[in-house]
Amino acid sequence: MLLRNIIQRSLTKVRVNVQLQLERRNATVASPVTLDENVVRPEAKELSKSDQKFNSLQQRFVYPEFLPNPTLEWRNPIREKLERIDMMRRRSQVDLPEFYVGSILAVTSSTQHAVSKQTRFLGICIKREGCGLRASFVLRNVIDHIGIEIRYFLYDPKILKLDVIKLEKRLDDELYYLRDALPEYSTFPEDMEPEILPDGMPIPINTTKVVMKPRPWYARWERTHFQGINRELMMTHVSEKMKMQIPLHEKPWEKYDLMKQYRSTIPEEEQKDIFAEVDSELHKLELLRKKQKRKRAFVKPLKSS
Amino acid sequence: MNQADVSKLVSRLRVRVAAKPRRLSNPQGPEGRMNKLRATVSGIIKYERVELNSNLADEARGYTERLISEAIRYGDSDPNMMEMADYWLEEKQLVHKLFKVLVPRFENSSLSYTKIYRCPGIIRPDFPSLVIELRGNPFPPLVKDLSTNRNLLHNVLLDAAKKEFRKQQYEIIAKGSAGQARETDRNISEESTKPVGDSSDSTDAESPEKVTPQSEKNT
Amino acid sequence: MDLLRLGVRKFHSTPSCNHIIKMSRLRVVDNSAIGKEAMAEGRPPKVIHVYTKTGVGTIGDKVLMAIKGEKKKGILVGVKKHQPANIPKFDTNNVVLIDDSGTPLGTRIHAPVPHLLRTILKERTIAKKCDYSKLIAIAPRFV
Repeated sequence: MLLRNIIQRSLTKVRVNVQLQLERRNATVASPVTLDENVVRPEAKELSKSDQKFNSLQQRFVYPEFLPNPTLEWRNPIREKLERIDMMRRRSQVDLPEFYVGSILAVTSSTQHAVSKQTRFLGICIKREGCGLRASFVLRNVIDHIGIEIRYFLYDPKILKLDVIKLEKRLDDELYYLRDALPEYSTFPEDMEPEILPDGMPIPINTTKVVMKPRPWYARWERTHFQGINRELMMTHVSEKMKMQIPLHEKPWEKYDLMKQYRSTIPEEEQKDIFAEVDSELHKLELLRKKQKRKRAFVKPLKSS
Repeated sequence: MNQADVSKLVSRLRVRVAAKPRRLSNPQGPEGRMNKLRATVSGIIKYERVELNSNLADEARGYTERLISEAIRYGDSDPNMMEMADYWLEEKQLVHKLFKVLVPRFENSSLSYTKIYRCPGIIRPDFPSLVIELRGNPFPPLVKDLSTNRNLLHNVLLDAAKKEFRKQQYEIIAKGSAGQARETDRNISEESTKPVGDSSDSTDAESPEKVTPQSEKNT
Repeated sequence: MDLLRLGVRKFHSTPSCNHIIKMSRLRVVDNSAIGKEAMAEGRPPKVIHVYTKTGVGTIGDKVLMAIKGEKKKGILVGVKKHQPANIPKFDTNNVVLIDDSGTPLGTRIHAPVPHLLRTILKERTIAKKCDYSKLIAIAPRFV
């Protein structure tokens, strides 16, 4: 019964979605388009097709957790569908805005350990991982000269409020290297003022190149290809022997491993189905958020006498 | 705890993909494995039909399918695609073949690009090897086309349906006026394309008829 | 061949877990005289015993340390090792020195302390035997 219900519901949703998408063909999802042009290879065929398809596929940058884990043994379409329903339910309860690795967030969560039963932690998002209800992110900040990292589950009912203080991207998908960078790169004041990005503006990409501390490090950063590390300065901390070892650990053939790519992602057809399922509800939530944002941005004019 | 990689879109493959890559042990490690696969994929694209051992054939099939699907997706104007084709195809003319022959051949197909058959091995017949071929190759088919066998169930059903349809039409002719009869006569001759007043059985039976080569032989 | 050339002793097959076990070095984050001196000298305390069943210490566990030729007890108030969700992971292993009755040797802590520590120490407080309420009281900031 449950299965049949789900299938019926999804079918009706798809029908509604198609209509909605046709209506909002001109609606702009401005930000990720620019990323696609900069970072991702140009998809010539993609661009030539209709905007509508383009828009719904762009959701994958904003809501990557809606895509299931690509590991084939762990796929289970029914569980994934149920998870998506639960995720939408949670999203209708609490505002979980768009953010990326490199954005500065403030999380207010309830905790039994505090006197006020609430805590707030502000920091830079250094990692997003996990799929479905298990999606999580890691915030990092330096407080009293001591670096602190906290992992939060995005759909955790303990989260009371998720504020995006500064919406921006970095050059990399994960910023664990901030642990070994100078502390000023991960120090943010707790009372930071939120910056509201104007509507329709592309998400700015922060091109800071961090300066690393001397070794010892958390990982062998000299062997990685992170864009956000100042490589020349990093190499001053690296011994000759370590430099000699760098080419031994390079894997130039992985770039061409077509099946590895395939196994690490979800095919386009499947992505379209998934986002068609949640698109209308996500769109509704986005409109609601925009309305609230406008309210916040509006400042009452002072009477001039 | 990993998220799907969203930086690049891929098309869904029409073949079954194993959860984990097969182990092709090689003294040069993963690089050697890729070199071996590269030679195999080039061979498949070049000769269109290759006999291999089962592990290699299964693994190379995925790479061949992916290469063709990427070529269809991005075309020859994309520099990254060109780099990929240069890596996988060891001869320059194969790159031309990929974009000028194989892409037009498979662009509108809804089937997989390769086909795989099990066959007795050359050295030990009891140790089977696999034959992998591109669809639409110029060689004679490896397996007999059994679709024309009159004893196959769908052919039996088709014959029965035709018989019944013809009977119905004759009844209508017998009842109807002369003018109508002339019209229906024409219908009978074109029965394989479009039936007029048919039962549900005959519609079901009509659809596979167009697919089977039997109908071509009859006409 | 490569392995031999690089030297087998330097080969690790697992990443470090940052566990606090015997012989781990800690960072004193209070203003007790002995702790301050040891940190200033660049000879941070070394763990010689962890008072847990597993021998691995985490937030709120008591450890025995060798510091400046003396044996001192301390409470771990922030650890480097991987933590579950909503619990902070610190860049250093922080410790606050205490005496046998649980009273801190210093009068100030100059590092943030996890909220969780409050609950853990409350549970471990035994009346008239070891009282950690003083430690919680001098913590300046909770995260």
